[in-house]
Amino acid sequence: MAFAPSGPEASFFEVLDQHRASLLATLRRGGGEPAGGGTRLASSSEVLASIENIIQDVITSLARNEAPAFTIDNRSSWENIKFEDSVGLHMISHCTTRKIKSDSPKSVKNFALILKILSTIYKLVQSNTYATKRDIYYTDSQLFGNQTVVDNIINDISCMLKVPRRSLHILSTSKGLIAGNLRYIEEDGTKVNCTCATAVPVSSNIQGIRNLITDAKFLLIVEKDATFQRLLDDNFCNKMSPCIMVTPTSVFYHLKLKGKGVPDLNTRLLVKKLWDTFHIPVFSLVDADPHGIEIMCIYKYGSMAMSFEAHNLTVPAIRWLGLLPSDIKRLNIPKSTLIPMTKRDQMKLDSILKRPYVTCQPFWRKEMEIMGDSKMKAEIQALTFLSSDYLSRVYLPNKLKFGGWI
Amino acid sequence: MEKETAGKILTGSTILKYLIIHWKCETAEVSKGALLEGQLVISIEALNSKHQANTLHCVTTIASAGSIYGGLVLKKFLKEIQSILHGFSAKLNWTSEEASYSQDTSGVTPFQMIFEVDEKPKTLMTDCLIIKNFLHKIIIVLPKIRFNFSVKVNGIFSMEIFDAPKFGTTELLCSRIHPVLGHPVVLFIPDDVAGMGLLGELILTPAAALCPCPKVFSNQLNRISSISIFLYGPLGLPLILPSQEQPTAAIFKDTSYFIDWKKYHLCVVPNLDLNLDGDLVLPDVSYQVESSEGDQSQNMDPQGQTLLLFLFVDFHSRFPVQQMELWGVQTLLTTHLSAIFMESHSAVQDSIQITVGQVLEHHHQAVKAHQKLQASLSVAVNSIMSIMTGSTSSSFRKICLQTLQATDTQEFRTKLHKSFHETTQHRFLHHCSCEVKQQLLPERDDAEQSTEDAHENSSLELLAGTSGQVGNKRLKGSSLHQGVEETRAFRSAGALSPSEAARRRAEATVSPLTPSRSRTGPGSGLEDALWLQEVSNLSEWLSPGPRP
Repeated sequence: MAFAPSGPEASFFEVLDQHRASLLATLRRGGGEPAGGGTRLASSSEVLASIENIIQDVITSLARNEAPAFTIDNRSSWENIKFEDSVGLHMISHCTTRKIKSDSPKSVKNFALILKILSTIYKLVQSNTYATKRDIYYTDSQLFGNQTVVDNIINDISCMLKVPRRSLHILSTSKGLIAGNLRYIEEDGTKVNCTCATAVPVSSNIQGIRNLITDAKFLLIVEKDATFQRLLDDNFCNKMSPCIMVTPTSVFYHLKLKGKGVPDLNTRLLVKKLWDTFHIPVFSLVDADPHGIEIMCIYKYGSMAMSFEAHNLTVPAIRWLGLLPSDIKRLNIPKSTLIPMTKRDQMKLDSILKRPYVTCQPFWRKEMEIMGDSKMKAEIQALTFLSSDYLSRVYLPNKLKFGGWI
Repeated sequence: MEKETAGKILTGSTILKYLIIHWKCETAEVSKGALLEGQLVISIEALNSKHQANTLHCVTTIASAGSIYGGLVLKKFLKEIQSILHGFSAKLNWTSEEASYSQDTSGVTPFQMIFEVDEKPKTLMTDCLIIKNFLHKIIIVLPKIRFNFSVKVNGIFSMEIFDAPKFGTTELLCSRIHPVLGHPVVLFIPDDVAGMGLLGELILTPAAALCPCPKVFSNQLNRISSISIFLYGPLGLPLILPSQEQPTAAIFKDTSYFIDWKKYHLCVVPNLDLNLDGDLVLPDVSYQVESSEGDQSQNMDPQGQTLLLFLFVDFHSRFPVQQMELWGVQTLLTTHLSAIFMESHSAVQDSIQITVGQVLEHHHQAVKAHQKLQASLSVAVNSIMSIMTGSTSSSFRKICLQTLQATDTQEFRTKLHKSFHETTQHRFLHHCSCEVKQQLLPERDDAEQSTEDAHENSSLELLAGTSGQVGNKRLKGSSLHQGVEETRAFRSAGALSPSEAARRRAEATVSPLTPSRSRTGPGSGLEDALWLQEVSNLSEWLSPGPRP
């Protein structure tokens, strides 16, 4: 691999290499990657046929003088989601559904919008063109009302047809950033060479990427763009080379997560692809607060909303590198840099502690309990109070060298 | 119109009014809260008079059929009816021996009375139209009485049966109205009228409704095209006869005297073109709503909807009210209604305004919902058409056309739109307040079902029972200002026993002016039953209580 020689000595990565070996062994014991469930990549003709079948059903109902309705899986219900250690959160096979009726005053508009977006998808697939969710919203913003309506309907359609969004020719709007030892070729032939000095946007067509090449020892998912930029500025990628660093673009996902976002789909797809292809250790660097922990859980185990696509998105092998609540005390981070947890934080923390996957993560649970007991949270930026480059010069290298992940 | 002729015109309806007052009182005495039911046969046989040219000798027979409670004492009847029809010279004959006071526990007391008058043919014709209109109005509030009205003029026979009020065309999917009850207000009696020996108080209760049922009125944007006002006195008897030259309705000539129509963007003018000759109920007061400029650009239904406003004036007294006193109140209201309303102008105006406001708000919501539905269906149709016409799969396109039995895409679009409309309309009909409990509808597992749907099943309970008899039988308006979609309880302390009241309160009914009735579910025979239930409670509501 013709990357410029840089980074620490080979012995630096001993623990990392052991960790990787352990991960591979686990995979082999588990019979390899779990069989893909839920959605699968579908061909254009399959998608068109599926949509035509839906339309036929609608017309048949009308011919029988029955009001047509769509049956949609309840994606937002915990009773339809199960946890598997190897997959994370995913939808059960026989889940509860809800009906979107055409003859109910409350749902007739939703019914019509589903048909509208189906017709849009039909045209996109037929013409082999792509559009983002945002593009679709703006085709008739007055009709749709807001972006969330469009997003939800697209997810419902994806779940209904059991195909990933990509197969519907709908792209994720937001893009993350990636830097480090990685090169690949996009579907349209564009060659992408990631570097350690600057970041490139994550591709919007992850499934079309081919010829991935890397010798990275690890992949670091950084929660916040500010931290990512700081690491770039500190030349972290070079110092820790070979490695890959990625940060998602924040997407406002429901108003519950005011001011912060959840990982965008493309970044999650890329992380998943890198893991599936190279099985390199993946670590997360998030704030020591409930929101950061939740972001990490989404990468590792998935989210309720996207549970129908869990097999394409989750990386259960992700490890929590930092900032750990126990690091706060261990490093004597000044109390003045800490932030009291709010009631919302506490509720979020309690909610995470109740999730099914926490039971198989005793160390995570312990860290969350430390956070809960102290009722304080901290951002990664708190480390700058120790020294401005503490994160890239001391904290992360030590963590990586000595296996400071859980 | 000559005084004598005018008196003759009033004879038939006067006698009918008296009979109804009598029966209501008798019914209340025998069975508390029972509805007045039975059948009256009114027949007029006219032959050319042998004594006068261009005159018909008319023999009018009023007879009962079926079960009618109570009996008429002939002497008392004659005395009272002649005091009412003072100076009237027609003959009244009592021909039935069973007309004496019957102690028969079944209460079946048939009777027959015959009277004769001489009338000009044109006067007879007017008479008949007036009686018909009177019967139309009566059955709105007394739907369990069936009237057979027949006329035979020189051998030419015609008959009409009155047993259901006609508020609109017969092609409607829902021929019911869903009145909103207003808050009762006490009417102050002017000084010059108070001296007429009225020992009690008058209560006005307005009720308003749109006709036809707005939720089923489809295909066109609903607009209010006319307003009809009906005036009723105690016991639900119509107050004004169309031919009377009375200042009674003078106050209604000013269209904005009681209602500020501008608030609802309605331009209202009096409608003087009232034609007795028709199958529809002739209102006491009629207004036309003129289209504003802004409406002309839209696809407006030229026929539109009619706002029906019922003004019920009832009489309450702490003392037992005799039949003749009720008659006196009826007469008083007929002659002094304007003055009485003017005396309480502010209260009357508020009560009517609020009632009308509620109905028009419902109408507005119904129009919005209809527009939303139409817009959604349009999106659905266009989306399906886009896929169907854009598909390269000939088998798919063929199946689509065959399923809807269309020969081309144009026809397919038309049938698609029609099918959507029919299926949604059917469902919206079930959501209409005229349908039964929501439990009968398969909506249980629908997560999209909202509380709004639940409220759409109108369940207005009217537990009626006004009385002129005892003081505690007072209209108790409770939460009368809620909309049609909500449950209302209009409870009278004395008309129903507590258990009955509780039962009725528990039952969901969609009949706004009826006591709650348990429904058997949708079925072909339901509509007739629902019609009766729809307005039957008006009679309960207006029934006098038992005599002491």
